[in-house]
Amino acid sequence: MSSSKLCWPTPNGLPALMPTAVLAVSILLLVISASSVELNLVRLFNAIPRMFDFASNLFVTPDWEYLPTLGANMLQTMEMTFLATSIALVISLPLGVMAAKNASPHPAIFHATRNLLTMMRALPELVWALVFVSAVGLGPLPGIMALSFVTIGFMGKFFAESIEVVDPRQVEGVVAHGASWLQLRTFAHFPQAFPDFVGTVMYILDHNLRAAAILGLVGAGGIGYDLVMAMRMFDYGRLLPIAISIYVVVTLLDRASDKFRRRLI
Amino acid sequence: MAQIDIKNVCKRYPNGFEALKGVSVEIAAGSFTVILGPSGAGKSTLLRTINGLETPTGGTIQISGQVVTQDTLREVRSQVGMVFQHFNLVDRLSVMTNVLTGRLSHRSWLGSLLYLFRREDIDLAHDALIRVGLTDKAWNRADKLSGGQQQRVGIARALAQQPRVILADEPVASLDPVTSEEIMGLLREICTRDGITVVVNLHQVELAKRFADRVIGLNDGLVVYDGPASGLDRATLSKIYNRNGDQVDEQLETMLAYA
Repeated sequence: MSSSKLCWPTPNGLPALMPTAVLAVSILLLVISASSVELNLVRLFNAIPRMFDFASNLFVTPDWEYLPTLGANMLQTMEMTFLATSIALVISLPLGVMAAKNASPHPAIFHATRNLLTMMRALPELVWALVFVSAVGLGPLPGIMALSFVTIGFMGKFFAESIEVVDPRQVEGVVAHGASWLQLRTFAHFPQAFPDFVGTVMYILDHNLRAAAILGLVGAGGIGYDLVMAMRMFDYGRLLPIAISIYVVVTLLDRASDKFRRRLI
Repeated sequence: MAQIDIKNVCKRYPNGFEALKGVSVEIAAGSFTVILGPSGAGKSTLLRTINGLETPTGGTIQISGQVVTQDTLREVRSQVGMVFQHFNLVDRLSVMTNVLTGRLSHRSWLGSLLYLFRREDIDLAHDALIRVGLTDKAWNRADKLSGGQQQRVGIARALAQQPRVILADEPVASLDPVTSEEIMGLLREICTRDGITVVVNLHQVELAKRFADRVIGLNDGLVVYDGPASGLDRATLSKIYNRNGDQVDEQLETMLAYA
């Protein structure tokens, strides 16, 4: 066996200073935050029997009569997801262009759009839903509004980031032949960023379905209201089918998006 | 009137590097000009200032009497095609769509937002593909083609816009010798048959000698030779490729052996 000394690929063979410092600070922060949120292993260990207790409650016969209502509510949740994502997609595309450093018409617009997008995603869907419920009343409409709002914040940022990494040489090839500002976006930036766009939309659809599933919590439509009620009433006969249906829909969506993406790229 | 009139053009980059130190060249319509010079001599910078991809820090450039400024850029570029070392095609678009981007300066914004082109535009693009012999690849994705084929698409894109001038920035630097020969032949033929003014940056002295009407030698941001390709003798090449006064005779032997 060779007995050569091990060293890192740095001039002096010692670990690089910056990564080591970052790692050390991260560990320190972890230790501090773990104790401040009372992450306590003993408490976690003692809770294990209670978790089993809760899980055993799930072994019940489902509430068959509830299933049609579940189907209708699940459908509403899915409709909310698709509607909100589509609305957000249409608005995010131009915002994404404006928020990309290499495609924005002006640095001032770039910064303004970035700030707008940050503001939109600063609060979670649930909080925006509360705002919109008090504005337009109960039902799926405030849910869709809240979902679109936050989605624009995320999608716009993701789109901007995809546009920022396009190959400038391909852009130059188009600009050199007299393409206008808008033509450059459609023919040079967009085709290059397109696979990333599709990936983003698929991920956000997945995320929005799960987000839409809890918006009912504040009366903003969908399956969420039933979920919370079943939870509070210890109605395990309903809780189980609701959880399973969410799992099934998310899984199906995930598989479908995988297939779809692979075909496009 | 000269097709391209470059007057005392200087370019200083923000990092202080002076790529061009006052270059004045007039290029006649329908001529085939090759710019030679060592790496970093300012060949690319000079070529890129002609269609405004770089803005000169001093001097002026006129194309067919029109001064190249920020306001005339689109108009200038609609008459000037460009061929790049790395082809600069949009990878994910079809060959046809790439060639059609040469027509964009004649299209409306709404039409191009929907990727719509006129029948005439498609015909022009098709003709350009016939010229470069790639009609069978028209509907392939650009990145599925070999380097030589991609460069042909690049030339077709330049042709499709029916330019008065084609600028080629080291068009054969990423290609093998046989393909290089074909590409240079194609550019020469375009110049001779269509009367398009062609300006090419090259590294190969031998190709310059064979294809160029006129050679401009650039060294350290200044024109050090301007004359026919036949005037490229040992002393001239030594002047063009001279670096900080070092002797380059040994390398020159090799270069002349190939020439």
